[in-house]
Amino acid sequence: METLVQSIVSGLLTGSLYAMIGVGLTIVFGVMRIINMAHGDMVMLGMYGAFWAHTAWKMDPFLSIILWVPAGFLGGLLIFRFLLKKIVPGGELNTLLYTAGLSLFVANLALLIWTGDYRTIKLPYAMMPLRPLGIAVPIPLAIAFCLAILVTAALYWLLAHTDIGRAIRATSQEPEVAALMGISVDRVSMITFGLGTALACGAGVLLAPSLYLYPTVGEILVAKCFVIVVLGGLGSVPGAIAGGLILGLAESLGAVYVSVPYKDAIGFVIFLLVLLFRPAGLLGEGKS
Amino acid sequence: MKLIGLAVALAVVVVAPWVVPDPFYVHLMIMVLMWTVLGAAWNILGGFAGQVSFGHSAFLGAGAYTTMILYLSLGIAPWYGIVLAGIVAALIAVPIGLICFRLRGPYFALSTLAVAEIIRLVALNWESLTNGPVGLLITTLPPVTFAGSPINWESKIPFYYIGAVIAIVALAVTWALSRSRLGAYVLAISEDIDSAEALGINTVQARVSALALSAFLAGAAGGFYAMYFRYIDPDAVFSIALSVEMVFIAVVGGLTTVVGPLVGAIFLVSLGETFRTHFMWGHLIFYGLFMMVAIRYMPEGIWGKLRLMVESRLGVKNG
Repeated sequence: METLVQSIVSGLLTGSLYAMIGVGLTIVFGVMRIINMAHGDMVMLGMYGAFWAHTAWKMDPFLSIILWVPAGFLGGLLIFRFLLKKIVPGGELNTLLYTAGLSLFVANLALLIWTGDYRTIKLPYAMMPLRPLGIAVPIPLAIAFCLAILVTAALYWLLAHTDIGRAIRATSQEPEVAALMGISVDRVSMITFGLGTALACGAGVLLAPSLYLYPTVGEILVAKCFVIVVLGGLGSVPGAIAGGLILGLAESLGAVYVSVPYKDAIGFVIFLLVLLFRPAGLLGEGKS
Repeated sequence: MKLIGLAVALAVVVVAPWVVPDPFYVHLMIMVLMWTVLGAAWNILGGFAGQVSFGHSAFLGAGAYTTMILYLSLGIAPWYGIVLAGIVAALIAVPIGLICFRLRGPYFALSTLAVAEIIRLVALNWESLTNGPVGLLITTLPPVTFAGSPINWESKIPFYYIGAVIAIVALAVTWALSRSRLGAYVLAISEDIDSAEALGINTVQARVSALALSAFLAGAAGGFYAMYFRYIDPDAVFSIALSVEMVFIAVVGGLTTVVGPLVGAIFLVSLGETFRTHFMWGHLIFYGLFMMVAIRYMPEGIWGKLRLMVESRLGVKNG
């Protein structure tokens, strides 16, 4: 019983971060139909951002989120404006290949600058886990969980209640009609890509104290992102949140009740099954 | 004209290791040949059939493990092993194709990525077969005599010629495909799959055949990889990075052309390996850069662009 509760708790903690990464990927797909292969590398950049803020400026890695989220937003705007804008009309496969190129470029630039060595962030307050009711909760993950919920909720509010949020949702549903209603699809696309990148960077910052850092970590993360967004249905924000939590739970329960070595395979098996039998996603509101 | 070009190219291939005997350059040429095979393999599926796969390392790895395991546990010599590697890879490709070809476009691409990752995890954990993360190592290759003299496996030159033969076969297969009925079918599928279906083409069968052919070449290249490096482990031969490299070589060289993968491999592998001699990390940086440049400015690839330029210079109408 205790193991069950323990693995549900750790599954939800990791799942919240997966959800945050997945939401970024899914809004970009929803508006522009871009499957962003470089999304995981944006997470990697966020992780290194937190690492350097901690190592070079003695800044708390979690606090550095106030630096790297705006930086990610700005970076996303620039990437869209100068790199992706001309590619998007070429279709989904072109953007897929193009962002794969971007991903390899960013990861190798990071390898060149920071080498492939593994790095960790050691926090003085994170040595011992919290133990409410006998369940171990690692402090960095607990902080990351709270911040991830905060950021995701803020984004949700933005999408639901602001003009730009409505414009994003409208473009996601029907780009042509949105354009006819006077929405600048170009501007909305740029802002959406900025938001997606900001979420990825933010999630990277939050993940940094709990994971090993190395420049090609994005490769694994991006594969997980695809699992998450396909689970929830590509383009659906609630779907991505649910997908993130499901993947987190599936991994932690799988590690306990199926097998540790195959824990990473469980996600991919679910992914294939969903793609084959429910391509619109489990919640059925995505676009297939 | 074309025949003369072909004869000159063959002559260059035969004498190259004697003109530049420096081990680094021979190694470079071997890598170019191996990546030509892998690029050509990917080009058959991703270029001709228009089905973008991000999971071709599954076939490379399956081939590498087949050759290695057959040699280590059954003593089957690598030259049979390389052919068997291709066959095993093609056999694995058939069920993968039947499953993944239910999906289209980017969804197919994502599903191949997932399949390759699952296969990598199986290889990592099926220790009785693959020896797990430790990998497999061979120390000696069986003695062979060629034209009366024993082959020295410590030299790179025999590998160069074996690689050259496989690369020539791969390009010949691509050429044959481009003029075959299957080639016409898959081109029609890549243009418009619904119309192809309406014309009575069995699109599943055609795509699975193209995938099996592609997997055969990738598997054979994997067998060659195992024998040349004499060491393999799951993360080395099943990595996502390898799948992605194949895509880049085919796209940058020129999709749906016969010579494109060779051009792509010469260009990118030389850049990458030269970069590697100067810097410890990040030798794939130009792969990413030229991929972006190619998609943005010359989607027909280097070879496609060259051909267009030559044709317009000669005033040939491009049909």
